[in-house]
Amino acid sequence: MSWLPELAPGDTGLDRVFGLRPDLYDAFRAFYALFWTRGLLDPVVLELCRVRVAQLLGCATEQAVRYAPARDAGLTEAQLAALPRWPDDPRFTDAQRAALAFAEQFVLDPHGVDHGLRDAVIDHLELAGLVALCEALALFDGFCRFRTVLAVDGPSTPTLVAAPSADGPLP
Amino acid sequence: MTPTPRHPIQGNVLGTQPESLAAFDRLYGLLWSHGLVDHTAKELARLRNARITDCGY
Repeated sequence: MSWLPELAPGDTGLDRVFGLRPDLYDAFRAFYALFWTRGLLDPVVLELCRVRVAQLLGCATEQAVRYAPARDAGLTEAQLAALPRWPDDPRFTDAQRAALAFAEQFVLDPHGVDHGLRDAVIDHLELAGLVALCEALALFDGFCRFRTVLAVDGPSTPTLVAAPSADGPLP
Repeated sequence: MTPTPRHPIQGNVLGTQPESLAAFDRLYGLLWSHGLVDHTAKELARLRNARITDCGY
């Protein structure tokens, strides 16, 4: 339960916390939903990176959420369970490995993102994909920290939810 | 004739994702144009964050 002394009405923990600033929450949801609804990145790559960032930052809620577009595109619980072992596990494609290597360095020390990491992502996702990945990682990293600092409630076990939308609740 | 101000990031690599750039602009613009936190505090926090993460931009 969030430690905030006041909460907004809402169906989810994020609704109740971020809903305290409804204008910002609306603009945030419109931005966040784009990554799933407009196909800016492959949904499996996007989901793997989101969960990996949550693992690195110890955000239990984000680790428990499963967005439907990735599941619909073929992401399995077995692959998610293998995520900490992505460098050696055969379940991961070269494109997924390139994105995950980039994502890990982005979170741990962005100054350590070198030409090799960048070029590997561009080879698989093109330049526009690299830009979309950086934007998505900035959201994942920042809002794992947001959830952690404000103790935002959320699912504690794997929970499948619909694609984020500009006007719907976020888990 | 007054020249049109150049968008600071539209002309660079972020312009490869115009839809997300527009959505980001709306969110970031709201953050700076509205709110309970005064602009001085926001700017100090932004600069402090940039120093901690060593972001020269």
